[in-house]
Amino acid sequence: MNIYKYASPAMFYPLAGKLIPWFAIPAALLFATGLFVGFFIAPTDFQQGDAYRIIFIHVPAAWMGMFLYVLMAIYAGIGWAFNARLSSMMASSLAITGAMFTAISLITGAFWGKPTWGTWWVWDARMTSTLILLFLYIGFISLQAAIDDARRADRAGAVLALVGVINVPIIYFSVQWWNTLHQGATIRLLQKPTIRGSMLAALLIMLAACWLYSVAVVLIRLRCIILEREQNASRFAEVGV
Amino acid sequence: MNWPDLSMGGYGFYVWGSYIASLIFFVWEIVSLKQRKKALTQQQQQSSKPVSTPVLRGSINETTS
Repeated sequence: MNIYKYASPAMFYPLAGKLIPWFAIPAALLFATGLFVGFFIAPTDFQQGDAYRIIFIHVPAAWMGMFLYVLMAIYAGIGWAFNARLSSMMASSLAITGAMFTAISLITGAFWGKPTWGTWWVWDARMTSTLILLFLYIGFISLQAAIDDARRADRAGAVLALVGVINVPIIYFSVQWWNTLHQGATIRLLQKPTIRGSMLAALLIMLAACWLYSVAVVLIRLRCIILEREQNASRFAEVGV
Repeated sequence: MNWPDLSMGGYGFYVWGSYIASLIFFVWEIVSLKQRKKALTQQQQQSSKPVSTPVLRGSINETTS
């Protein structure tokens, strides 16, 4: 089987349709499981009380916001460098979901900050850089929407996405580089996490759910983008543009 | 298993507020996608040339700009 044929939007369209339920259904099940573990099994935190339960949505949303941005920039970059239409469409599709997760992380962060720090918002390094991430997403979406020619829009978006990638390590390391109000990482790749097992389980299940959800909605949106662009292309062909 | 206290030890507004806000975002994304899909299907039905699958425009190596 030649897998490269799926680089063509027309060939990928039916494959994406078949893949969607394999991500959407497990996502729904994992959301339910994650919330169950987070609310019924994980104990109350001795310092933050029940307010800490916000992290089960806040942390996965923040990770997804950063991860999807990097992924979007990679796809946009590939689309630009190799003139691969499907890659650029994927980047456009990822942008809205990434922006949504970033917005969720900022809003839930504010809900966590008010009872814990006594303020909804501070111009702290991590929060400011996350807000910039949201603006980068909005910039990418608006820039693409403002340019009529899809391929030109893709190229312009790719430049913005690639330049903006620098912001992602800034967000990630902001709690180490600057003295911020935001707490440091509790889960690191090479070290033992500093939170209780059931809390960690809820967090990781919610992360998996957000990840599967993202794949499902990005594929649904990608199918819409393929149809929209191909329809426009066939209309142009009809009038001889 | 322990039943959570709905008032969340006084933090109910913040905990439920953040989950409801997140839910609104998820629902908004799904509903807007459904509408986008519906609009596309209607456009296809109205168009003189119904396109059931995307038009096969060129091969894999197509490099139009």
